[in-house]
Amino acid sequence: MDTDALARCADEPIAVPGAVQPHGALLAVTEPGLDVVVASANAADVLGAEVTGRTLADLLAPAELDRLRAALAGDLAEAEPLRVSPGGRELDLLLSRSGGLLVTEWEPVAGAGQAGAAWHRRLPTVLQRLSAPTSLEGLTGVLAREVRALTGFDRVMVYRFDAEWNGEVVAEDRREHLEPFLGLHYPASDIPAQARALYATNWLRLIPDATYTPVPLEPPLVPGTGRPLDLSGAVLRSVSPVHLEYLANMGVTASMSVSLVDRGRLWGLVACHSYSGPHRPSSADRTAAEFLGRTASLLLHTTVEAADRDHAVAVTRREAELAAAVGRTPRTPAAALVDGTLTVLDLLPAAGAAVRLDGRLHLLGTTPPADRVAAVVAAVLRAGGATDRLTRALPGFADLTEEASGVLAVEVGRGRGDFLAWFRPETPREVSWGGDPHTSKVTDGRLSPRRSFARWTETVRGTARPWREHEVAAARALAGHLGEAVLARAAEDDRLSAALQRTLLLEELPKVPGVALGARYRPSEADVVGGDWYDLVPLPGGELAVVLGDVAGHGLSAASVTAQLRHALRAALLRDEGPAAALSALNQLIGALLPGEMATAVVAQFDPATGAVVLANAGHLPAVHAAGGVGRLVTDGRGPALGLLDAVTYPQAELRLAAGDRLLLYSDGLVERRGRPLPEGLEAVREAVAAVAGEPQEVVDGVVAALDPAGGDDVTVVGLARV
Amino acid sequence: MQFAVDRTAVHGRPALRVRGELDVATVARLAECVEAELSAAPRGLVVDLTDTAFMDSSGARQLARTAKRAAETGTALQVVCPRSNSPVRLVIDLLELDRLVPVVETAALTDGEVGS
Repeated sequence: MDTDALARCADEPIAVPGAVQPHGALLAVTEPGLDVVVASANAADVLGAEVTGRTLADLLAPAELDRLRAALAGDLAEAEPLRVSPGGRELDLLLSRSGGLLVTEWEPVAGAGQAGAAWHRRLPTVLQRLSAPTSLEGLTGVLAREVRALTGFDRVMVYRFDAEWNGEVVAEDRREHLEPFLGLHYPASDIPAQARALYATNWLRLIPDATYTPVPLEPPLVPGTGRPLDLSGAVLRSVSPVHLEYLANMGVTASMSVSLVDRGRLWGLVACHSYSGPHRPSSADRTAAEFLGRTASLLLHTTVEAADRDHAVAVTRREAELAAAVGRTPRTPAAALVDGTLTVLDLLPAAGAAVRLDGRLHLLGTTPPADRVAAVVAAVLRAGGATDRLTRALPGFADLTEEASGVLAVEVGRGRGDFLAWFRPETPREVSWGGDPHTSKVTDGRLSPRRSFARWTETVRGTARPWREHEVAAARALAGHLGEAVLARAAEDDRLSAALQRTLLLEELPKVPGVALGARYRPSEADVVGGDWYDLVPLPGGELAVVLGDVAGHGLSAASVTAQLRHALRAALLRDEGPAAALSALNQLIGALLPGEMATAVVAQFDPATGAVVLANAGHLPAVHAAGGVGRLVTDGRGPALGLLDAVTYPQAELRLAAGDRLLLYSDGLVERRGRPLPEGLEAVREAVAAVAGEPQEVVDGVVAALDPAGGDDVTVVGLARV
Repeated sequence: MQFAVDRTAVHGRPALRVRGELDVATVARLAECVEAELSAAPRGLVVDLTDTAFMDSSGARQLARTAKRAAETGTALQVVCPRSNSPVRLVIDLLELDRLVPVVETAALTDGEVGS
């Protein structure tokens, strides 16, 4: 099972393998005596001389020994390999120190690939090419090409690590017939933490023959310390068998890697593969490759930063353009964001966007279904506004992984339910194998790139490309601009509708002989104008029509509908055909001129001479008739709400107000309270009307006091009595 | 109860189950869902108010608008609101919404439909 292999790999003592690769020999010697303390078992073969019990002075020619001593006096990290030939065979001698010992590594010159002087003469040109690109893609592309030209590997890739150490192939140069690996991802477990730690300090690793047999160090423990020799800094260090298995599964016969380090942190790797037998670039060529890696490392930061800056500037510019478009058409901000050549979806890289303004939702690109968007956005807003792993972070959205693993949401205004949102798909869907997986030349073993990709896919399942800081900032800035535009417009609307509402209320109750009146209007505390209206219309024959109505909805549009209905009903009542005929006419008017609107109204036409009342009710709450200390709901004379049906003939109820009787009309704001069933509210009104004695205005005030309606809706009450 | 509109199916017809308080603050959500359904001009659509705790006039107006839109798309609309849900059913009765759209106790088969 993969996990076992990986667990073994993670536990592997990679710094102290107790063995070296066979393409060279290792001698650990004392300083300054240069006595051989530890030697690889192949030392005699490589050096062409017995090493046990000897010193380097015995093995090297006097001139070579002098150069060695000169190198030891300086900084070993800067020392060039020494070219020596102890047994008549040319060797490169590499120096490092470990555990108080000098580690000498001897690598035959013969058999190593040599890029030769031609390449090295091209170095200035190569450096210029490396520093020219302004994008990361450009820089890593040049790096892969040049490292391959230098070292002759079949494939050279540049890996980049993400924040969780998953790797992605961001650049590649390869032999033409090879399957491309560009864009492949690898899970963090492919390169264990201890290996990454080693890579951050040790810039280059080489395995010239991935099928090698390790050569043990003798003795295995350093005499005097009892510990194995630490080979972290040794180029011949034998690598983990698990790593060799991994290479074998990929068909890799030789490999090399160069670290890319950005300001002290391992940023990525240049990974080199051969597929056609052993391959060993010379020590000089390796040094040059490492030099390219180090140079590219220095350029990473500025290149990434420059690209980021360009990107951020572009996002900010588009934000400004969108804000300007909204500014030009402040009454239709959604159109400015959705219908223009530049839309809100263009603001930043995303697959879909949602705009909700004034309760209307607009969708662009690939988004969750319309009926899910509001819930997703609300949840993400509660969780801070941005997520790159929606389905992992928040419950209830498992079905939205594909289109909305990443969600960036910003509220527009406050508490209006308006928002902007962007959506990014699940990351694996952005990635594809470059070649046909069925004709792959890659073995599918326990550890293989395909298995790795599958494992990586699991680790990133449900995640999207993270939202960048400047993207979030631009989204917030746009929402801020929109909020201001919407607020300014809402303030204007509130002013307008309040002014309109004032025109709907009567400055003074009309004086009608034989009628006592009381009225009360209390606006909603929610600071929005409701749709209530009342009216008292004296008719030519001496009768008085009392109207109480309520238009569904709030705000400017409801206020303007209210004004129209009030005047239309007045006109209809003045035709003196009775309340039912007037409501039928009003219903017809809504159907013809205000489709989609709905209102309720009750009209009581009172004859002071006789006390007769003719009442018609279009979907409104029943009037209350109080007589002799008993209240009664007037439940007849009812028909449907205004605006529901094209043509309605309303019935009428007839009753008589005796002296001392009261008739009370009211809007739903008086009785509607969440958590209290409507029948109980009606019952409370009926009781309150019966209980309060006095003039109609006292009754009206007493009922409002008794019901103590919640402030969320406007409250209108009209009472009348016969005098 | 948190407001939500769940999309389900009843006898093979799309159904929107409205939970929580349907009022001026939430009605746009229902409007969006209705529009999403009706844009496909289905043969039938059920709006289920069984679990709707409260409905104000904005909510009622949305039902009326839905009924008119459904007529345009040739969709047989049915509103489910059992008598046991009196807070909502009373509003429907007061407004006589049932004269515009069939209001039923439970989702029933409509003409020509075969149960699933």
